[in-house]
Amino acid sequence: MKKRKERIDRGIKVRSEDIFALCSWREMLYLSSPRLLPIVGLFVLSFVLSLYWQKVLLSVSVIALLAISWDLLAQSGMVSLGQALFFGMGAYLAAIMNHYWGWSPFLTIPMATIFGGLFCTVLLLPVLRLRGIYFAMVTLILPIMLVRVIEATRIFGGTEGISGLTPLPSRWFELYIIIVALLAAFFGFRRLMGSDFGLVLKGINDNDRSVMNAGINIYWFKAQALFIAGSAGAFAGAFMTHVYMFVGMPVFALDYSILPIAAAIVGGAGTFAGAMFGAFLLVPLSEILRGLGGLRIVFYGLFLVVFIVALPEGIFHYIQRKYNQFERWVEVEK
Amino acid sequence: MLDIKNLMVFFENALALNDLSMMVNEGEIVGVIGSNSAGKTTLMNTVSGLIIDMKIKEQRKGGERITVYGKITFQGEDITDVKPNDRVEKGIVLSRERHPIFPESDVMENLKIAGHMKKMSELREMTEYVFQLFPALFDLKKRKAGFLSGGEQQMLAIGMALIVKPVLLLLDEPLLGLSPHLQSALVKAIKNLRSESGITILITEQFARPVLPIIDRGYVIENGMLTLTGTGTELMENPEIKAAYFGI
Repeated sequence: MKKRKERIDRGIKVRSEDIFALCSWREMLYLSSPRLLPIVGLFVLSFVLSLYWQKVLLSVSVIALLAISWDLLAQSGMVSLGQALFFGMGAYLAAIMNHYWGWSPFLTIPMATIFGGLFCTVLLLPVLRLRGIYFAMVTLILPIMLVRVIEATRIFGGTEGISGLTPLPSRWFELYIIIVALLAAFFGFRRLMGSDFGLVLKGINDNDRSVMNAGINIYWFKAQALFIAGSAGAFAGAFMTHVYMFVGMPVFALDYSILPIAAAIVGGAGTFAGAMFGAFLLVPLSEILRGLGGLRIVFYGLFLVVFIVALPEGIFHYIQRKYNQFERWVEVEK
Repeated sequence: MLDIKNLMVFFENALALNDLSMMVNEGEIVGVIGSNSAGKTTLMNTVSGLIIDMKIKEQRKGGERITVYGKITFQGEDITDVKPNDRVEKGIVLSRERHPIFPESDVMENLKIAGHMKKMSELREMTEYVFQLFPALFDLKKRKAGFLSGGEQQMLAIGMALIVKPVLLLLDEPLLGLSPHLQSALVKAIKNLRSESGITILITEQFARPVLPIIDRGYVIENGMLTLTGTGTELMENPEIKAAYFGI
């Protein structure tokens, strides 16, 4: 007897796409629980975690923010290897405004967010025409270059960096500002990619010539996407500067470029949720592995390789598929 | 020579080929006529083995998506699970739809890449044969393949399949995007190919009019199912074919 695997949408998915979803708690729950999970989960986590793990949650959220900003760029046809550029730009801008001009964090963080995004966009404007590996190379080089500029010219504290910056009012404030920002960026980006604007960005990724043929200036759209993604990264940098009360050359480190990409790939690129999920998996994992000392990176790397080989679509895509569809063997009918 | 038995191909839940059986005898030109989405390319991909590769890639993307049932025998040997590159060594060579070539290499390099498994002397001989078949290519020897016109790329793509000296040549929509003049030239070339080197040719096409006169036998498929078979002339005189493919 010949059999083939059939894949069908779950009944509850089909039903809950309809207006009748509003008639049943089960279907409402089916629709809303994946959306509510990150919101409720993050707030519950912030309560139950110990002080140490609250600090980890901070850096997880920052990496998650960088990961979804990477995902936004990747979905618009710009594969970036330099999230550290956005992060570092925001970090230094906030530090300069705070240290030299004496602005309060409530002003420096928003200003660094906007101007960080703007500066990064202007810096990358000349290379918007490049695609794929060329764009990636330029974004990889820029943060490394900026580090050397700071080191050589000794501006902004040079190798010592700037310390003694104004801290944020309390650790709860720190925690909630980043959680709210992460959730806002996450749901905002998802909404953005669902809008007509996002459609154009996805089109640029698929086939930029066809988008040009539709009479759309793709460089303008790319620049806007770059600004949005850059601002998200710059916010993360500005925030971390005030949390650490210090800024220095490490903000341009490769970690801030590679970790977000690893998170997005392991979690599943193209949905934002995957990138966020990946960050919440990888960063705590690297914390847990701290006990292994020097072998930490080896195990971390092994974990990454195993995941990418075994589940190349990404964890989130797998979960999403199982949530929405089921597979069964059916007889092949003649 | 080629014997396809009860071939079924599913793409996820869609049925691309439904219980298709057909055979190709040694030295024949067999045509498979069908409109868009009839399953022609799927048939070619299955015979050339590319579907195995597609299946693995789709599986990696998520779950079992492509299902293939049936049996393909080539020269008395079951090749259903043979990998595409091994099928080329057995002599089944496919010239894919929409003439994919290596755009960054020139014409000569393209031919060399395609024939890399042949000996140098054999390669030289076959290159000459290809240029004899498509004289237009000879003048473009050093031109980058990406800068060739669509018709020239199509000739190159067929040349790249020929250079391996196939036992069974699979041509997937060779006339696609060619002018009527080039179409008839290509059809003539295909006919000469058979009479000169005696290779077996399986050709899929939706332009039935230029192809039907040169084929020995033809199959008409619709929605993955066989609807008609017959010799070339039989099919040409069939009123249904006339209505559907000639527009008369």
